[in-house]
Amino acid sequence: MKNLDSVFAAYLIGWGVFFLFYLTIAKRTSDLRTEIERLRALLPRGK
Amino acid sequence: MSLLSNTATLLGKELRTEFRSRELLTTTVVFILVVLILFSFAISPTAEESREFGPGLLWLAILFAASLMLQPCFLREQSNDTLSSLRLAVDDPFAIFLAKLVANTLFLLLTEILMLPLFSVFYNIPILPQLRYLLLVLLLGSLGISIAGTALSAISAQARMRELLLPLLLLPLLTPILVVSATVSVSLLEREPVVLWKGIGFLAIFDLVFLTALWLFGEYLLEE
Amino acid sequence: MAKRIILGAVAVLLVIASAYASFYIAPEERTMGVIQRIFYFHVGSAWAGMDAFLVCFIANLLYVWRRQEKYDWLGVSSAEVGLVLTTVVLITGPIWAHPVWGIWWTWDARLTSTFVLWLLYVSYLLLRTLVEEQDRRALLSSLFGIFAFLDVPLVFGAIRWWRTQHPSPVIMGGQGSGLDPTMKKVFFFTVLAMNVFAGFLIVERYILEKLKHEVDILQREAEA
Repeated sequence: MKNLDSVFAAYLIGWGVFFLFYLTIAKRTSDLRTEIERLRALLPRGK
Repeated sequence: MSLLSNTATLLGKELRTEFRSRELLTTTVVFILVVLILFSFAISPTAEESREFGPGLLWLAILFAASLMLQPCFLREQSNDTLSSLRLAVDDPFAIFLAKLVANTLFLLLTEILMLPLFSVFYNIPILPQLRYLLLVLLLGSLGISIAGTALSAISAQARMRELLLPLLLLPLLTPILVVSATVSVSLLEREPVVLWKGIGFLAIFDLVFLTALWLFGEYLLEE
Repeated sequence: MAKRIILGAVAVLLVIASAYASFYIAPEERTMGVIQRIFYFHVGSAWAGMDAFLVCFIANLLYVWRRQEKYDWLGVSSAEVGLVLTTVVLITGPIWAHPVWGIWWTWDARLTSTFVLWLLYVSYLLLRTLVEEQDRRALLSSLFGIFAFLDVPLVFGAIRWWRTQHPSPVIMGGQGSGLDPTMKKVFFFTVLAMNVFAGFLIVERYILEKLKHEVDILQREAEA
């Protein structure tokens, strides 16, 4: 099982990249949702 | 046919504009020369290595030169806002692209032909024996560079940082041209030359694909 | 909202299942041993990346035809997801190569082509940052996206042909090396899992783009 750590490294780094990507999307999405709420509150005319 | 006559007229305009100042041609020739010399300094090739790497380096230099030479293609039209007049003057906007790409191909070819003797001397590669095949590769390769380059320069002209953007868009796109042209050229200039017809066919296919794409989508590239 | 959670859950489950299969169901490869198990993840990501770029291509065509911004949102989302997947391919490739060959990179045909693919879509995203006006940005990037995708088979074809002229070590068990039937099943299952996962990422990214648009509208209203 000599190269097992390389295999683990590949999976770890790969999924790390995907996870990071998803995290940045999720964070920006929630930031935008907050921003939308804030802006909606500023426009009281039933928009 | 209206398309051909429009193209011919516009082509005349492109050629006259360039030959009035000849700045594009001279700067491109000098640029390729400088790049080839710099390659020699960087690699210090032996005679054998020159033969092996020379053609590839020549194509690399052509690509770099082309990505600079193609900049003014649409920028020129922007400075005097001649693009709208051009579009009004022709029925088919493809004529504008056709004229420009033929002009660009001619400029590139002329540059390359001027370069060939110098290349032959600096890299110690006799080019006369296989000249007609070499010219064929130069033609097909330059055509491919011009077609893609003309299309992309219409895009980059409408963006910021256009001097850096055009090479950035163009060079990855032209990888097939570089790889195939260089391989075919190396094979032509070997001690026992071989004509790689598959490669030449591939270049023709590349040209066809992008010419068709330009024909289909060109008008959108010119939208205001 | 519920649909998104279900999609996400299904994606994660499939991915975990495929990882399990890669390690416990697929037989060990004779020559390379356990390192070969990277193959499922590495090539699975590559295929999912290509599918994402195909989605981008279709979105680009639809935008040029229909001019509806949702197609632009889909275009940028699928391009980014495709790029992320391709990045993982480029990272796992050398991790596979190093224990087996002792080198990180050999300009192997598929890895090289993948690198050019990566460059093309980096250029696509870069182009978008350099055009400020929304509609123009959508149009120009869609047109470049179309040219880029048309280039992809030419890139892979050209580099593969080039490699037949100048052979070098093939990193990822050559094309022809028949896969054991169980390996094949695990592979296609992994491709399915990676595609569903890519689809999930595209949906999430698309929603982000849509929200950005909503914020823009609200901001403009608030300033009015």
